[in-house]
Amino acid sequence: MKALILVGGFGTRLRPLTLSVPKPLVEFANKPMILHQIEALKAVGVTEVVLAINYQPEVMLNFLKEFETKLGITITCSQETEPLGTAGPLALARDKLVDESGEPFFVLNSDVISEYPFKEMIEFHKAHGGEASIMVTKVDEPSKYGVVVMEESTGQVDKFVEKPKLFVGNKINAGIYLLNPSVLDRIELRPTSIEKEVFPKIAAEKKLYAMVLPGFWMDIGQPRDYITGLRLYLDSLRKKASPKLASGPNIVGNVLVHETAKIGEGCLIGPDVAIGPGCVVESGVRLSRCTVMRGVRIKKHACISSSIIGWHSTIGQWARVENMTILGEDVHVCDEIYSNGGVVLPHKEIKSSILKPEIVM
Amino acid sequence: MLNFLKEFEAKLGITISCSQETEPLGTAGPLALARDKLIDGSGEPFFVLNSDVISEYPFKEMIEFHKAHGGEVSIVVTKVDEPSKYGVVVMEETTGKVDKFVEKLKLFVGNKINAGIYLLNPSVLDRIELRPTSIEKEIFPKIAAEKKLYAIVLPGFWMDIGQPKDYIAGLRLYLDSLRKKSSTKLATGHHIVGNVLVHESAKIGEGCLIGPDVVVGPGCVVEAGVRLSCCTMMRGVRIKKHACISSSIIGWHSTVGQWARVENMTILGEDVHVCDEIYSNGGVILPHKEIKSSILKPEIVM
Repeated sequence: MKALILVGGFGTRLRPLTLSVPKPLVEFANKPMILHQIEALKAVGVTEVVLAINYQPEVMLNFLKEFETKLGITITCSQETEPLGTAGPLALARDKLVDESGEPFFVLNSDVISEYPFKEMIEFHKAHGGEASIMVTKVDEPSKYGVVVMEESTGQVDKFVEKPKLFVGNKINAGIYLLNPSVLDRIELRPTSIEKEVFPKIAAEKKLYAMVLPGFWMDIGQPRDYITGLRLYLDSLRKKASPKLASGPNIVGNVLVHETAKIGEGCLIGPDVAIGPGCVVESGVRLSRCTVMRGVRIKKHACISSSIIGWHSTIGQWARVENMTILGEDVHVCDEIYSNGGVVLPHKEIKSSILKPEIVM
Repeated sequence: MLNFLKEFEAKLGITISCSQETEPLGTAGPLALARDKLIDGSGEPFFVLNSDVISEYPFKEMIEFHKAHGGEVSIVVTKVDEPSKYGVVVMEETTGKVDKFVEKLKLFVGNKINAGIYLLNPSVLDRIELRPTSIEKEIFPKIAAEKKLYAIVLPGFWMDIGQPKDYIAGLRLYLDSLRKKSSTKLATGHHIVGNVLVHESAKIGEGCLIGPDVVVGPGCVVEAGVRLSCCTMMRGVRIKKHACISSSIIGWHSTVGQWARVENMTILGEDVHVCDEIYSNGGVILPHKEIKSSILKPEIVM
C-alpha cells in the first residue's frame, strides 16, 4: 500500500524551530514528527510513502535515507514548483500513488498527531465500499474549523461546512484520508483544495464516508498546540501503560526522558515533559509542560514551564522560563534571567529579562 | 559560500580560500588559525579587514604609509560624531603614531575610531596565540606601547553596514562617493532624483519617482507610478503600481502590492509578499511570508 503525506511549505508557524530544521523533522516526544506517521503507516503494511513538499528536499533527503534503511520502507519526495493546495499535490504524485493493484492509498496532513487507527480505517473503507474515507474528530469549538456533517450510523458524509457560525455538528476533518485511485481522476494538476473542491463532489455522489477518530488528535503545527498535543500524546502512552514513561521520586505525571539524558539531584520533572537525547538537567531544576530538545543544558535551580527549548540551547542558573517561551537552536539564556513568552531566534544570547511576549531576533 | 567563491575566483583571477573556526576565536585568533595562508617567504605585510566595513578602501595610500613609518602595524581610523559608541584611537596627529586605545569611554579623548582595516607585518602573528583573542584589547595596545603602531585617517566615507539602519546610511554615503567621482553607474532621467543605481536588467515603469539613495537590483520590476526613496530592492523584486517605499530594504524575490506604503526601516526577507494597500511601519519580516494586514508599529513578523 502507498501513502502521501502533505508536508507543504516552510513551516513558518513553528518558527523559530523550523528555522533550523524542516518541520517534518522537528521532534515531537523525542521523535521526528514525520516518523510518528511513517512508523504507523509501516505497521499496517504501507511500503511506499511519498512526501509532498514545496521547497527544496535536499535537507530532508539525508534524514529520509536513514529512515528508509532503519524501517525498510521506501520514502520519496514529490516537489511542487508552485503551491498546489491540499489536492493538487495528489495529482502531481499520481504516478507514485497508483499501481496495478488498484488498492486505496492513505493521505495524511503532516502536522496531525493522533492514535493513527489505520487498520480500523482500512476495514471501515472495505465495509462501506465507497470511494473515499476520512477521519473526523470531535472538538469543543467547531466554529474554528471545517465541520463534517454526516449520518451517524453509516458514516456517510452529507456535506462540509467551513467555519460555521450556527452549530451544525462538532466533528471536524482530522486530515487523515483513505482514497481509491479513482479520486485522482477528479483532481487536476493546479492549486486545488481537497476540502472545498474535491470532497464535496464525492459527498454529493454519496461516496464519501467518515469514521470518528478514537483517541486523541491535535494539529501540532504551532507552538501552543504542540505543547497541548504533547500532553495528549503522553496521556495516551499512560493509558497503554507504556514502559517509555519515566518513573522515580523526581517524576510527576507523564514524562519522557531519553536514555542518554542526565537528570541531577533534587529535580522535579513533570507533568507533560519530554527531554531529548544528550540533555543535561542539573540539580534542583523544575520542569513542567515543556519539551527540551537534543543537547540542551538546564543549569541548577532553573524553573521552566509551558515552553519549548531548542536544540543545544542552555538555560542559566535560577532562570525562570514560562508562558510559551520558544527558544530556537543554540540560544543561551543567562543566569537569573526571566522569560515570559520570549520567542528567540537561533544563535542568540539572552542577557536581559523578557517581561512580555515578544520575538527576539 | 564555496560556490559563490569559485565564481568570483574565476572572474577576478584571485585565489579565495576559507579558514574555518571550530570555536569563536575573537578578532585576533583567526589570524593565528590562518597563519600558514598569510605568510610566505616574501616577508610582505598582509591586510586584515572587518567584513562589515564599507569605505573608499585607500589600500595604495596605506601601503605607502606603512613603508614610510617602518612600524609593525598600520591601522585605518575614521572620524565619527559620536565616538563614545566605539573604541577611540588616541594618536599623535603629525606622525600617526598611536598612543593608546580607549574603549567606549564617557569623557572625550578623541573622535577617531578604529575603522577595522589593518596592514600588518608577519611578525604580528608571533604575538597571537590560537585562542579567543581580541585584537583591539590585547594585541594592538602592546604594539602601541612599543611605539610600533601607526594610524592613517581614512579619507572619504566609512560605515559598518552590519545592521539595517547603518546599511541604509552606508548606501547614502557610498552613492554620494560615486557622485563625487562622476560615476557613470548612477542612473539619470526625468524620473530619477539624487543618487540612484538601477541594474541594467531592471525595469522601471511610467510616472515613477526614484531616489534619492535608491538601489534597484537585477531583474526587478518597478511598475508605473511608484515612489522609491532611501531604499534597496534586492534581485527579482516586483513593486506594484502606485506603491510608496522609503527607508527600507526589500529582500530577494519579494513583492510589494499596489498602493502599499512601506517605510521607517521596514526590512523584508526573501520571498515576502506585501498585499495591496498594506501599510508597514518598520515591519521586520522573515522569509516566505505574506503580509495581509498592516503593521502599524515596528515589530518582527515571523
